[in-house]
Amino acid sequence: MLAFALKNLFSRPVRSLLALSGLTVAIAGMVGLFSVARGIESTVTQTFNKIPGLLVMQPGAPIPLFSRIPTAWGQELAAIPGVHAVTTEVWVRAHLINGKPTISPPRFLFGMDPEQAGNLEHSVYRDSLESGRFLNSSDRHSNHAVISRAIADEFHKNVGDTLQVDSHLLEIVGIYNAHSLLLDVAIVFDIDQVRQMSRIGPDTASCFYVELDNPSDQERMVETIKDHFRGRELPPWQPTAMLALDSSTGTLNNPVETFIKQIGSLLSGKSQSDDSPQRYTRQRTPTGTPSPDTKPDTNTPPGTNTATAATATSDDSAPQVDQPEVAGSDRQATTEPAATSPELPIEVRTASDWADQFKRFSADLELFLTIMTSIGVVISVLGIVNTMLMSVTERFIEFGILKANGWSNLHVLLLIGYESALLGVSGGVLGSTLGWWATLLINARWPDRIHLYASPGLLLFALLFSTLLGVIGGLYPAWWAARMLPMEAIRRG
Amino acid sequence: MIEIQNVTRTYQRGSAEVRALRGLSCRIPPAAFAFIVGPSGSGKSTLLYLLGALDQPTSGEIIVDGRALSQFTRAQRDAYRRDDIGFVFQNFNLLANLNAVENVLVPYLPLGTTRQKRAAAELLLQRVGLGARLDHRPNQLSGGEQQRVAVARALLKQPKLVLADEPTGELDSDSGAEVYRYLRELQAEHRSTVVIVTHDRSHIGPDDFVLTVRDGKLVES
Repeated sequence: MLAFALKNLFSRPVRSLLALSGLTVAIAGMVGLFSVARGIESTVTQTFNKIPGLLVMQPGAPIPLFSRIPTAWGQELAAIPGVHAVTTEVWVRAHLINGKPTISPPRFLFGMDPEQAGNLEHSVYRDSLESGRFLNSSDRHSNHAVISRAIADEFHKNVGDTLQVDSHLLEIVGIYNAHSLLLDVAIVFDIDQVRQMSRIGPDTASCFYVELDNPSDQERMVETIKDHFRGRELPPWQPTAMLALDSSTGTLNNPVETFIKQIGSLLSGKSQSDDSPQRYTRQRTPTGTPSPDTKPDTNTPPGTNTATAATATSDDSAPQVDQPEVAGSDRQATTEPAATSPELPIEVRTASDWADQFKRFSADLELFLTIMTSIGVVISVLGIVNTMLMSVTERFIEFGILKANGWSNLHVLLLIGYESALLGVSGGVLGSTLGWWATLLINARWPDRIHLYASPGLLLFALLFSTLLGVIGGLYPAWWAARMLPMEAIRRG
Repeated sequence: MIEIQNVTRTYQRGSAEVRALRGLSCRIPPAAFAFIVGPSGSGKSTLLYLLGALDQPTSGEIIVDGRALSQFTRAQRDAYRRDDIGFVFQNFNLLANLNAVENVLVPYLPLGTTRQKRAAAELLLQRVGLGARLDHRPNQLSGGEQQRVAVARALLKQPKLVLADEPTGELDSDSGAEVYRYLRELQAEHRSTVVIVTHDRSHIGPDDFVLTVRDGKLVES
């Protein structure tokens, strides 16, 4: 009967092809969309597996770019038993490279102390060196930089060449390739040079990378470090993390919400910073003390904040720099809730914390993608129902003949079910293949911008889902055809 | 033996009620070569479809070999059509996607066709002169050839009852005569009862059983 069903499909090639195309596109779209979330998950897992240490940063700061903490705390961290080495890091965004705006993918200036980094057993950038050399103590206060392969390729640079970042000229001494979209965005050079370029004072750092004597002792060390700093306060003026906070709840923004707000701001001609005073007002309780709600939600997906980072940094780096003298009353007020956190002035993140946060972000993304995919799926199911209904309508006589020859209702139902299931399977195979090829093509075309991953599980799911869609799409037409009396079918024909 | 007992069949056509059969009763002896004749709209085809359980009477009863068709379950009706009845339609009603052999095997497609069944189908097609056209699809066959395929399909299962609705209505006289020749040959061989609805009395032989129907009633038998 399966062969008969196949012949029936081939006998109406145009209609079958159209239904198949609809389903194929929907399934390919589903594979493509879900491969975004899978790609993020895969990238995150791969990336954070390479970072065994802890990151100490300002509470609520989504990424080090938005974090500011006192440099002096690094020495205290280094003195905690169980800490093997500490490196001070300053992260700022590069706005122009060789005169070209770096909007997407973003590029960051990673300032580090080469001498401190030499104490680390594992350094992700040093360990990923592809050509040239990594920074050493001789590079202190120099303009020597190590850049990623992605940046080198983008600007056609090699070791020995120079790279102009904003208004500064850097000499490339090494090229690394961490094979990660999250890591291959950094231009690594001397911390003081980065401070000078971005007007960050020597007393301020973005974060500290802490390497432990025993990497498996992370959980205990996290608590030890937290206990060490408990009850301390950050000095005033830590504004950038607050930029990532939601105006009404004090939590970090949802990416979709942020995106919509950006569009709204653009349409209304208001910049995001225009909303800052209002945002601040909502965060405070009537007594003027920080509301509990204003405590940054450290569980919020970091990806959310990357989106915010794009806006925050695109309007300028001013909120990130040490410029208390230019801070107006609004800006000063905005900083207060974070600065007066009674509990912890720091946040300690492990690689798994980062991974968890990214996974939460990808779960949100997956929800969004599911909604988008559902639209395509509904359309393709309607396409199959329409195709099969037309097919049934045209074949009344055929069903009458089959029944006259002893076919039961179930047999007729099965025949139409097979036909629609075949459409589903074919759509699944073609859609999965097309979606998979598309992800490979996109990854090859934009290797440093996006990483899509169509896992075997996703492809198998797409295939099964498509088959299910085919069967569901054929159910009503099959039921309709099966319940007709043979005479009725012949007469209608 | 077929017994038709006071059968009526009424159906709606738009708002009008059509009384196709009005209390028709008769008997058709076993292994008969029977004709149902009468003018258009007299209820001939309706009676034929009731005999084949393609339709159900509004009232009355049809008894085939002692079994009342109205008592059949749906599964029994399917089995009756599959195993006991062979249909030949006026416009052949072959399936366009299937070749001659596959069309003959249609009753067995859902249950799976065995090699023996296929061999039997091929043999039957050879008997009706289509040995060289086994793989041809309906659109590659003439009208007469298509009707011979339909005859082979009806007879493959060696049914107790062959029902033919104007089997030569779409054929020229030579092709029509050929179809009748095969029907008679195979009926004699299988001892099936054959009931044919026709306008054309030229194929009725002296030993054939004839029912004349007019206005839904039996006029003569």
